Amino acid sequence: MLLSVRDLIVRFRTHDGTVYAVNGVSFDLEEGETLGLVGESGCGKSVTNLAVMRLLPQPAGHIENGQVLFNTEDLTKLPEASMRELRGRDIAMIFQDPMTSLNPVLTIEEQMVETIQAHRRVSSVDARARAIELLGMVGIPEPAGRLRNYPHQFSGGMRQRVMIAMALALEPQLLIADEPTTALDVTIQAQVLELLQRLTKERGTAVILITHDLGVVAGMTGRINVMYAGFIVEAATTPELFAKPRHPYTVGLLHSIPRVDAGPEEALIPIEGVPPDLRVAPVGCPFAPRCAWRMARCWTENPSLGPLEPGTTVRTSGPEATHRVACWNPPTADEAAAGAPQRPGFAPAEPPEAAGRVAAGPGANRLAASPESARDR
Amino acid sequence: MSPTDAVSPVASPADAEAPLLEVRQLKVYFPITRGIVVERHVGDVRAVDDVTLTLRRGETLGLVGESGCGKSTMGRAILRLYRPTAGRIIFDGQDITTLEGAALRSVRRRMQMIFQDPYASLNPRMTVGGIVGEPLDIHSLGTRNERRQRVEQLFEIVGLDPSYAERYPHEFSGGQRQRVGVARALAVNPDLIVADEPVSALDVSIQAQIVNLLERLQVQFRLTYLFIAHDLSVVRHISDRIAVMYLGRIVELAPSRELYDAPRHPYTVALISAVPIPDPAVESRRRRIILTGDVPNPAAPPPGCHFHTRCWLRERLGNPAECVEVEPQLRTLDSGHEVACHFAEQVDGSIAQRRAISGGANPPAEAPGVTAAQTQPLPPQRPSAH
Repeated sequence: MLLSVRDLIVRFRTHDGTVYAVNGVSFDLEEGETLGLVGESGCGKSVTNLAVMRLLPQPAGHIENGQVLFNTEDLTKLPEASMRELRGRDIAMIFQDPMTSLNPVLTIEEQMVETIQAHRRVSSVDARARAIELLGMVGIPEPAGRLRNYPHQFSGGMRQRVMIAMALALEPQLLIADEPTTALDVTIQAQVLELLQRLTKERGTAVILITHDLGVVAGMTGRINVMYAGFIVEAATTPELFAKPRHPYTVGLLHSIPRVDAGPEEALIPIEGVPPDLRVAPVGCPFAPRCAWRMARCWTENPSLGPLEPGTTVRTSGPEATHRVACWNPPTADEAAAGAPQRPGFAPAEPPEAAGRVAAGPGANRLAASPESARDR
Repeated sequence: MSPTDAVSPVASPADAEAPLLEVRQLKVYFPITRGIVVERHVGDVRAVDDVTLTLRRGETLGLVGESGCGKSTMGRAILRLYRPTAGRIIFDGQDITTLEGAALRSVRRRMQMIFQDPYASLNPRMTVGGIVGEPLDIHSLGTRNERRQRVEQLFEIVGLDPSYAERYPHEFSGGQRQRVGVARALAVNPDLIVADEPVSALDVSIQAQIVNLLERLQVQFRLTYLFIAHDLSVVRHISDRIAVMYLGRIVELAPSRELYDAPRHPYTVALISAVPIPDPAVESRRRRIILTGDVPNPAAPPPGCHFHTRCWLRERLGNPAECVEVEPQLRTLDSGHEVACHFAEQVDGSIAQRRAISGGANPPAEAPGVTAAQTQPLPPQRPSAH
């Protein structure tokens, strides 16, 4: 196993209170595997990976609990000096906005040579030759001349190519790509994704692709974890997840996005309400307030991620990975297709009387949705 | 006169035929100047370059294109937030191209805008009730009491609790803020709403709420939308017709289903082909057309057809000189598409092209008359920008 994250809990201490960002996340990744982490803003997908890299914003963020085993070594216990060596060499990262991750006052050459020489004992001449080779590899015309340019002299798509070249410079075993194409236009996104896929496949690099775009993960990954409010709520191979989604949130997401190849009478079924405030300690299933399938126990007990059939031997990685879901009342196949519960007489359970969690206190910045919004279904 | 009466839509049978909005040969250029004391005019960014289109009453026209193609400038110029360089804008039979002052304000009551960023487009120091009521104050509609009632009514219309009217924008989530933005646009009961990327800044699960809200309001209030977005899936979902823009020009205009089923401009084909589809089975069958390079500088667009520097079709046809020398005009094909391409007939919906768009789902039986050249496969996933 290349990477094994166990019971990861990440919290942020802020002036407004504790933010429960990641609440017990476990997943595995084999060598050469591509894993998608899907979810909306604030679901903990980026924080999970910053924790893996030990790059959480300091001093607010810290790993409260859990292990990050990379080649069986626990990264949470590694001294900072060893961690610095490992970053870039073994695990590399690409961010959404290449302009903020490249240094604007250094040329591309200075930055690439520095990266290479930080990890390899090579002469500047050799490092420069390697940099030219890498820029050529990611499709930058006239790489030798472009090396002397500054980041602002590149377009957005070209900057992301430079980032990919730098990330792959040391042939890492794992590449974490955090929304790598979200800031790019769609035709440029297609270029960059194609490049990323080709290069990682050639080198057998494992990839964690973090995105909110279900279309991007559909074509790029072998396996997907769907995250919500700091939990993994559904985990499956990519074909399985799209063919048989079993968590109400996944079902909701698939019905909220229009498809460019859809039929004439495609109705969107939005997910009601808003994502939860992460400054409130999670009680019950985090998705319950927005869920059409919720039952009484969903308000109080949080289901754990488990196989659909109890007693199944669980495989956590690879193309044969077991489909797992964290739900007390998973939608049936018909319901998943319809996007709503189909059982006669079923109504979502009302919140328990004493619940204080739906009240909008003075500090809460999100107000409960009015019942009027349900009309837009 | 109550504010609701004052702003009820006027639609007499006579003007039901006439388009609500006509844009004729619109140009919006932004000058580039050099020098500090004496500013010399050294060129123009041609944001909108000779665009002609009409908006029918009650329809949704989608305007798509990549960043910098001029779609937002177009939307703002229509509302006269920019002064057009050339061309005419005719709103409900009235030429508004050069209107100023009170006359312009009175026209603006009938055309409103919804902005992309609900965080930036709401004044953080005003209550949301004040924000929604402000257009009524500006246009002096109704008494104070009537305005308050109208604001309450608007909150209910867009699905917000009227008791939230005294709160400030930061207390709301992105989706709720966008509802406030929609309520503000509706306040004066406009005929035309220009929505500039209204859902792009929102989370996926919230986008659908706003899209459905806009659709419901259109039916309820007989609104006409100009829906500007870069997300082709959303535009396709909401629009009746779609105009595709590239470097300040419309390259294709067609009813939305037809545009996606049988695009005729090579840029449209590539654009649709680049949109990821949330279905791994479809994705694995697709053979994308990947455009090389970036969008050229709009201050110095390529001669002839603006798209020729990145065109896959031109390459396949052996780089005909016409593309570089002659600027293609928007022309109507037999299929009813309006296309600005000399060789649009060569974009024929062959199997290879269908595969680029939708992975070849439901490919039509191959017509016997199809020539070998037409079914020649597209260059498969060539490594780009070498």
